[in-house]
Amino acid sequence: MPDVLVQAVVSGVLIGGLYAVMSVGISLSWGALKIINLAHFSFILLGAYVTYQLTASLGWDPLLTLAVVIPGGFLAGVAMQVFFEWTKVDEFQSLIISFGIFIIFQSVTRSIWTADFRTIPTDRNPYATASWFVGDIAIQLAPFIAFVAALGIAVGTTYLLTRTYFGKSVRAIAHDPEIARAFGVDHRRVAILLSGLAMAFSAMAGTFIATFQSLSPAVSFAWFGIVFPVVILGGLGNSVGALGAGVLVGVAAGIATALWGPLAAPLVTFLILIAALLFRPEGLFASRSAV
Amino acid sequence: MTARRRSLVGFALVFLVLLLVPIFAERVDAPGFYLTFMFTAFFWIGQATSWNMLTGYTGYFSFGQGAWFGIGVYTIGILAAKEGWPFLLALPVGGILAAVAGTLLGVVVFRLRRLGGEIFALTTLAIAFVFASLARLFPFIDGGRGIFMTGTPLPEFLGDFRRAMYWLTLVVAAVTVLTAYLIHESRLGWGMFAIRDDEQVAEGLGVPAFRTKMLALVANAFFSGMMGGVWALQIGFITVEDVFNIRVPLFVILMSVLGGMTHWLGPAVGAIIIFTLTDRLNSAGLEDVNLVIIGTLLIVLVLAVREGVYLRLAERWRITVPIFVGAMILFGLTPIGSSVIWDFTFASFVTLLVSLIPTRAEPARIDDDGAERQAA
Repeated sequence: MPDVLVQAVVSGVLIGGLYAVMSVGISLSWGALKIINLAHFSFILLGAYVTYQLTASLGWDPLLTLAVVIPGGFLAGVAMQVFFEWTKVDEFQSLIISFGIFIIFQSVTRSIWTADFRTIPTDRNPYATASWFVGDIAIQLAPFIAFVAALGIAVGTTYLLTRTYFGKSVRAIAHDPEIARAFGVDHRRVAILLSGLAMAFSAMAGTFIATFQSLSPAVSFAWFGIVFPVVILGGLGNSVGALGAGVLVGVAAGIATALWGPLAAPLVTFLILIAALLFRPEGLFASRSAV
Repeated sequence: MTARRRSLVGFALVFLVLLLVPIFAERVDAPGFYLTFMFTAFFWIGQATSWNMLTGYTGYFSFGQGAWFGIGVYTIGILAAKEGWPFLLALPVGGILAAVAGTLLGVVVFRLRRLGGEIFALTTLAIAFVFASLARLFPFIDGGRGIFMTGTPLPEFLGDFRRAMYWLTLVVAAVTVLTAYLIHESRLGWGMFAIRDDEQVAEGLGVPAFRTKMLALVANAFFSGMMGGVWALQIGFITVEDVFNIRVPLFVILMSVLGGMTHWLGPAVGAIIIFTLTDRLNSAGLEDVNLVIIGTLLIVLVLAVREGVYLRLAERWRITVPIFVGAMILFGLTPIGSSVIWDFTFASFVTLLVSLIPTRAEPARIDDDGAERQAA
């Protein structure tokens, strides 16, 4: 295999970790709570801009901003679930309502940070340029951090869902909310906590994006095409599956970029989505789905 | 049968009157922006109504309107502006290409019965971005350079640009609405509604679900592509970013949700209201808050007016029609509205408020033909 392709595969695996972090929140809330929350894209974007702002103007270390971004995302998820519980929306209404929220945030971010591309200044961002070399193959630090975080999320979420009482309640609700309620599971509390957790993951993804990519409000549209194949391939509510699917999509997009240029990547991810829908609509890792 | 005849006669009358508006406007020397305002409204009526043929009738929620619209725009850009085809020959090609793309999507996503409506919705969300990257990738479509539309020859008999746009959008919108009406009243339409209510039951009762959904999707794509083709003339310079963005799907969703997705005329009414609102906000220099208001409206409407305002207005026509006419006259005579468009905006707003406030008192009962309940 030529070096270019090896490099594409290595980078694809690493960036697949980022895709997994971006997707796991949406996957959890869709799989367990039956809410398709497009506002996750808003909070990925917002998390990224908060990281950008704190590093660019206050000089924080980009990873230190997680101390603000994660609690912020958690609170946003909690608030959103409180709203959804209060209005008693179904799956479709949640899709349209969160689309409305997405549009509002899109407009708000544009009015705060303008439509221009923003990048954390290189002197404030030690992660963007650092990389290790194995032979001629570069391993960039920033996506590597995201990949490690994705591993941690996959393991931690699986542990949480399979080994704890909270996780059992989540799975009970995902399986049958009525019966779960009859057995004394507090649907409201569990749903609110899970939504907060899911949104915290998404906001975290924003921080990772800010460490090595340029930001503009419009890039969030391009994420749709990456996140949905990952969510569907990974299986709804399956964090380990999301990591596997993220790596698959990352590698495929990386190879496509190496062979035909960056414009081909969205096409390849869409083809993967179509193939996933045709052959494995329940996800590649369905048998091991935690939720 | 009489109800159908009444609808068709009313439809024909409205169409004829609208057809004559530009000639009348020239006689009274009305400012040109009235025609621009109206043909933009026709554009949205056509887009929203075509979207509703799929989503309102069958219940399959589509974010893909931008893709069909974009195919129409780019077909005209390539065939009429670059290759020099006669516009009226290129126009149906755009509609047909959009329909072909719709067919391809439908073959994939409707084939599998396991796929729910959510998956369909998310796939349509992705498809506009796929077309966008195709357009960027291939130089014969766009290649990232954009297409200049200036100098696209229009048919002589349509007169100057504004009148040509007016008549073209009017005819496409009218055919779209008429088709939506005919489907609504036909066996095909009943099949669509049955699928919306419960697809498995519908299939059990003998509705050919796959074929019905395909027809709805193809009709949506075709009419959206046709209207997109007409709209291409209005865009001076076509770029991927301006064509394949979220604006068209967002607005058609909002318009149809507001107007009411179960009735054939709902999206048209919603389109007029939303377009007037955004046009006024833009002219008042509030473009930045525009999307915030639109997003908020969408959330509130989904939660509050699930059956759409058209049925409300029609149900209470004894109140709403006089109020609208009265308000138009009032605002027309007083200097509150500085132009007819402002008068219209205020009058619609007042009428909407009046029609909506009493609904809070009674629980909303939803059925397909709300107007019939008046008698009961």
